[in-house]
Amino acid sequence: MPSLPKAARTPPPIADPPMVDPASFRDPSGFVFRRDGVLYRQVQASAADDWAAFISTGLYERLAADRLVVDHVVEPPELAALPDSVVVIRPRMIDVISYPYEWSFSQLKEAALLTLELQSRALDVGMRLKDASAYNIQLDAGRPILIDSLSFEVAAATAPWPAYRQFCEHFLAPLALIAHRDARCGLMLREFIDGIPLDLAARLLPGRTRFNVGLSAHIHLHAGAQRRAANEPPPAAGALKKERRISATGQRALLDSLRRTVEGLRWKPSSHWSEYASTTSYSDVATASKGELVREMLVAVGGRLAWDLGANTGVYSAIAADAGYRVVAWDQDAASVEAHWRRVRGTGAPAILPLILDLANPSPAIGWGLEERASFLGRGEPDLILALALVHHLAIGNNVPLHGVARLFARMAPRAIVEFVPKEDPMTRRLLAARRDIFEHYSIDGFREAFGASFNIRRETPVADSPRTLFLLERR
Amino acid sequence: MPFLAYIDPGSGSMLLQVVLAGVLAVPFFFRRVISDGLHRIRGNRGEREDAKPTEGGEDATPDR
Repeated sequence: MPSLPKAARTPPPIADPPMVDPASFRDPSGFVFRRDGVLYRQVQASAADDWAAFISTGLYERLAADRLVVDHVVEPPELAALPDSVVVIRPRMIDVISYPYEWSFSQLKEAALLTLELQSRALDVGMRLKDASAYNIQLDAGRPILIDSLSFEVAAATAPWPAYRQFCEHFLAPLALIAHRDARCGLMLREFIDGIPLDLAARLLPGRTRFNVGLSAHIHLHAGAQRRAANEPPPAAGALKKERRISATGQRALLDSLRRTVEGLRWKPSSHWSEYASTTSYSDVATASKGELVREMLVAVGGRLAWDLGANTGVYSAIAADAGYRVVAWDQDAASVEAHWRRVRGTGAPAILPLILDLANPSPAIGWGLEERASFLGRGEPDLILALALVHHLAIGNNVPLHGVARLFARMAPRAIVEFVPKEDPMTRRLLAARRDIFEHYSIDGFREAFGASFNIRRETPVADSPRTLFLLERR
Repeated sequence: MPFLAYIDPGSGSMLLQVVLAGVLAVPFFFRRVISDGLHRIRGNRGEREDAKPTEGGEDATPDR
């Protein structure tokens, strides 16, 4: 019998193959990947000098200390997912990834100002920000932070800023449209993944914005310059690309002008919804009872991360934060989210992140292969969802059958605190005031039956001095 | 040193940027001269608390 080969090596531990993030393909200097569920970033040899300068100039250390760039730990090079790696880092994780079309005006504005600040600090050490993508910024503990640590490169002091156009399209155009036209223009970013085309922004902005020096230069003139350049014949094959120069003072002047233009944009949130909490019909007893019941249920679940759906200006998000949760507070109304964000920022309550979302038409997956930006349901799972004074808007306002609401909630989280608002409640009567009542199954029995198919009902308690009922549900 | 970017900076955008930087540099330069001058005058009076941001300090990111 032939003997078995001697080299009976112990097999390597079974590990999932590294998964390169599908959104991480645009910049060849590196990419993000996951290995065994942990997120890493690999720096490629082509970007070795830029990475070395980012570290050796102390830029990284200062930006991370000021919480302007996400901090990271350097990992062993063997963890690299693909060849040609010079360094592998493990960035600190952000609670929930959000996108600019889910941000309110001030969130986008703060992200814009952060981008300009980063470019300015990079210039101080002979580097520059090589892109100005809004997707490189995330909202973390109440403030914007750059998550793409590979965004800095060494550059000549006289080189123009290649990200100028991207900055105007990703930040300035949507901010100007919200401030001067309508808050809903922010949702256009969902359609235009590379930012709002400047010719479109110029056409949509009111004519008076031509008299604003910054908007006139960076949007109206900019759109004209792009149009003229597009009509030029292409350069001859083999022709040297022209190197343009800007003085150091010119660099700073341009940044200063962009900063003043962004800072000059204002938007005052005002809507039916942002005043909703003060125009509702609940008695003080009912409000106190509901708050106390929600608190008890939150504590009973004892989770870490909660999503408050239809959060409005965040009364119950605050209760969840007090109960020790980190909360993402989704609401469809830009004014409510703006008011909520300003309050959270003002009180320094970084446990809550307000974001814009219409649950009846949530953020889809977009971009190349529909994999660049995750859909609302692809953003991870919280421990719990709160759906207070929401189901009647979905079931009656949007005609979604109660079974459909229950199934969506069960896809989102293992537990839910849901409020049932019956037809006799004044808020539901208002929804039905001008229409035929086609909702024969909309009753507390219908609710129990529909939600009972997806969840076990752990607790059911009426809200005092009100026809409403609160349910604590656990996914089957 | 590379001056070309991985994103398309747009030839019209680059040209406009060069022109704008030239035009904006003039008022920017004079504003800076004036504000530096004011700082120096105040500094001579011993009131120069806010002249230079401490590197990496808390005031590096004012509440925007």
